[in-house]
Amino acid sequence: MSNKSTQDRGGLPATRRALVAGAAATVASAALLRGARAQARTKLQFMYPVGVSGDINKLVAGMIAKFNAAHPTIEVEAVYAGNYDNTEQKVITALGVGEPPATWLPINSALQAFLGLDALADVTAKAKADDVYQDFIPGFLETCVSDGKLYGLPFQPSTPVLYLNRTAMKAAGIAKAPETWTELLDVAKALTIREKGELKRWGLTIGGGWHDWIFECYCRQNELVPWTKDKVLFDNPAALDALEFWVKMEQAGVMPKASTWEGSANDFMAGRTAMLYHSTGSLTNLRKSSSFEVDVAFMPKNKAFGACQGGGPIMIAKKQSDAAIEASWTFARWMTSTEVQSQWGRDTGYLAVRKSSWETPEMKAYLKEVPQAKVALDQSAYAGAFLQVPGYHKVREYLKSALDRTLAGEIKPDAALKEANAASNREIQRLLRRRG
Amino acid sequence: MPFGAPFQVRLREAGLAYLLLLPSLVFLAAFTYWPILRSVWFSFHDVVLGDSRIIWLGLENYQRLWDDRLFWKALGNTVFYTVITIPVAIVCALLMAVALDSKLRGMAIYRSAFFYPVMIPSVAAGMVWVFLYSAGYGPINQGLRLIGLPDTAWLYDSSWALPAIMVMSVWKYSGYFMLILLAALKLVPSDLYEAARLDGVSAFDRLIHITLPLISPTLYFVAIIGLLHSYQIFDYVYVMTHGGPADATNVLTFYIYQNGFQYQDIGYASTLANVLLLFVGGLIAVMATVFGRRVHYLGR
Amino acid sequence: MTSLRTEIASRPAIVALRRGWLHVVLVPLALLWLSPLVWILVTSLKARTEVFDPAAGFWPQVLRWENYPAALSVAPFGTYLVNSILVTGGILAAQLVTITLAAYAFARLTFPGKNLLFTLFLLQIMFPIYATFLTNFVTVRELGLLNSLPAMIVPFVASGYGTFMLRQAFRQVPTELADAARLDGCGHVGILWHVYLPLVKPTLIAFGIITVVTHWNDYMWPLLVTNSEAVRTLPIGLGLLAKSDSGADWTRLMAATVVVVSPLLVLFVVFQRRFVDSFMHAGLK
Repeated sequence: MSNKSTQDRGGLPATRRALVAGAAATVASAALLRGARAQARTKLQFMYPVGVSGDINKLVAGMIAKFNAAHPTIEVEAVYAGNYDNTEQKVITALGVGEPPATWLPINSALQAFLGLDALADVTAKAKADDVYQDFIPGFLETCVSDGKLYGLPFQPSTPVLYLNRTAMKAAGIAKAPETWTELLDVAKALTIREKGELKRWGLTIGGGWHDWIFECYCRQNELVPWTKDKVLFDNPAALDALEFWVKMEQAGVMPKASTWEGSANDFMAGRTAMLYHSTGSLTNLRKSSSFEVDVAFMPKNKAFGACQGGGPIMIAKKQSDAAIEASWTFARWMTSTEVQSQWGRDTGYLAVRKSSWETPEMKAYLKEVPQAKVALDQSAYAGAFLQVPGYHKVREYLKSALDRTLAGEIKPDAALKEANAASNREIQRLLRRRG
Repeated sequence: MPFGAPFQVRLREAGLAYLLLLPSLVFLAAFTYWPILRSVWFSFHDVVLGDSRIIWLGLENYQRLWDDRLFWKALGNTVFYTVITIPVAIVCALLMAVALDSKLRGMAIYRSAFFYPVMIPSVAAGMVWVFLYSAGYGPINQGLRLIGLPDTAWLYDSSWALPAIMVMSVWKYSGYFMLILLAALKLVPSDLYEAARLDGVSAFDRLIHITLPLISPTLYFVAIIGLLHSYQIFDYVYVMTHGGPADATNVLTFYIYQNGFQYQDIGYASTLANVLLLFVGGLIAVMATVFGRRVHYLGR
Repeated sequence: MTSLRTEIASRPAIVALRRGWLHVVLVPLALLWLSPLVWILVTSLKARTEVFDPAAGFWPQVLRWENYPAALSVAPFGTYLVNSILVTGGILAAQLVTITLAAYAFARLTFPGKNLLFTLFLLQIMFPIYATFLTNFVTVRELGLLNSLPAMIVPFVASGYGTFMLRQAFRQVPTELADAARLDGCGHVGILWHVYLPLVKPTLIAFGIITVVTHWNDYMWPLLVTNSEAVRTLPIGLGLLAKSDSGADWTRLMAATVVVVSPLLVLFVVFQRRFVDSFMHAGLK
């Protein structure tokens, strides 16, 4: 380790090295000690985000311990890396210095970003030799596919769903969840409460911060996938129709112009909004923290039902030895095995990725207790990947800004979408040109 | 060497000065100047985080910045935040410090009450204020309703979100400036105002004509630090609004973070950082000439 | 001097009046400032369903102390606490040395390039920190420090902020004091140690509190440069409860916040008592 730093120090001012050399030596010797202890095992790092609750940290630690105990030749070190954004940043920073972790868990939209860095191992052949293509739920598997090749295994998928305050619905005499956009608007109107012109409860809130994700679901409900792998289609009439429907709901006074991801969840729990678009990942939190009966429904359809996947797959680094890739595959495969997925789904509220996981006796018992979990699974039959274009972060910001400004009445829907479309495609082209 | 030639004395003094500065300079070189130099170099290139290929762009990034609507918006937001929040926080802090510069009972409680917001980790403080600002059930709206004001969804509203973060900043940072000013008051010989008080000078006049000039070196420090303080709200923007709605709370440091880390566009993020450095450097130079000259030091 | 003092003390009416007036203003203001803290404390003892239920009222039905162990169980908080102390303590100790030396040079010595060098020190606070992360990550890796406690310390050893703050304080010390010490045979080091440092103690304490609070709560840089639980710090544990994509875990987040803030609060209460008039203590009458 100290050798290495001597080689790499090329352009550094000499003074910087000398000063911290002592500390460096200490660390280096500690690393040597660690190396000596575990020589025989292939060491893998797994960087993961904590998406739904702090307990995930414990759950992952438990899973890793179990995996390591069962695999004497492999030693996985789990590294908590913040939220999805932080995880992606940490992995990419490590990639930049040529030392990526062996495996990591990003959001599925990052697929093109990692492919652009030539960072992902192609696992198509390994998956074909296994039962992956038979047993994984196709809509989830699709989130790891680009040009017919598989780059990773889905691990913790989620989609937006419609959360309902059942108690409020009963009080308003509404028996069933809205199934179409028209019904949604009607139900939202019936649930909105104003006293002397002052709003007491919104009928509906669209979770802000990720409202672009929910907007893509609306596009898909209009039978439009608003992107291909090298461009976005926000200026399509189907997208415009979706945004015009949002404006219609806002102008009908049944939903706020904007919200935030955290704030909208609080609003729902406090009874400030009767319906809420939020992630399936929030199910456990909303269910356990609300003082009323919480129900979950499909997002209402327009021309069709439609949703798109959030959540993440386990990806495997390309630039490592064949043995390490093999070991990483063993790990990813174990994390997505029937039993592990069944347990993980029940513990977290994420959707299990295998058909067989849903058939386990434990899962069947869980579904009896929490029937809402089944709704998200059924809906995922209509779900595809979310915005897998190069530079998706920036595209998301362009779209969110366009949606916000439209609902705030600063700009007309068609102009906003045209502008976001042009800006997004310019950015995608810039990145593709760079890739060459 | 009291009998040495003046030149030798000066030489020795300069040598000593450089020696004293050396430890700082070594670390500044490694962890500040080197990143700044790299940032200048990056800004002329297309640099993507995680990618070793670096492509020469010339001035393209600066051209892009000039045409970037969001950059100007973020700059405007940053200036608006700073111009309003910092003077308010400093005046609050000054009044707090003057009031708490005493040996009266209960000072520890007051001081802690005003300073503790600085200690609350930003993710937690941000979350708490998300709750405080909620429409309907949020305590701030409940309070306003008592005095007959309408309910407002502060953080969901593009005209109120930034002012809401500014109010939170005053809560969070007045105590911070208070602490610095309190320390400064302790450097002032207290007989001066006690004498003035006995001469019947009013409290207000004592503050303006005695206290303020005496702590002017620290006020100068606080004003300059305050100018840079808008850097600190990154955390709150990240936790509370993520720059929205409609970019109403996007400030420059957040925009730099977004470009550098979220979009992995290091070239452009560096360009933004360099422009911000020049901008802030210019402002500080102006303040140093206008304000720095009026600072009165007790020593020399 | 002494007679002035006696005279003030002999006018209890004025003192009482002044005290009363102050409290009338300060009590409401302090309560306003404290209200978020009260909410944090109360929420940390609530059941999850009580936090947002408007019908549940302000106070918890039952005090749920179990939120605290439940919050601390998500990560090895004991290790994190030790690491936070080591990192923050390391930064503070190193900074006190570097800024004292540099501030003395800027405040009391004449040398060519003084203004330029001072501007260079200020660059550190003028340049946005996120723009340094990438380069500093590479540097820290080249030094072999990734995933270690020093990685969280070295970027902060020098402090333009502290140097500026202390320089302003040093320049407030009357020059006659230093001259007197020099006549007594003190060199620069002696003057710095025996005259300047004791006199600016309140400033040193204020700086110490600020730097400890700042680095105690650092999140992004430690997250980037550490991987193992053995070297991680408290804010990362807090992040586990706060940085979720599904709404915060309110009761446990607030409990963990109380735990993370408590040591700082104790430290503050202890050290703010040391804010005493410098010139009284230095025997300058």
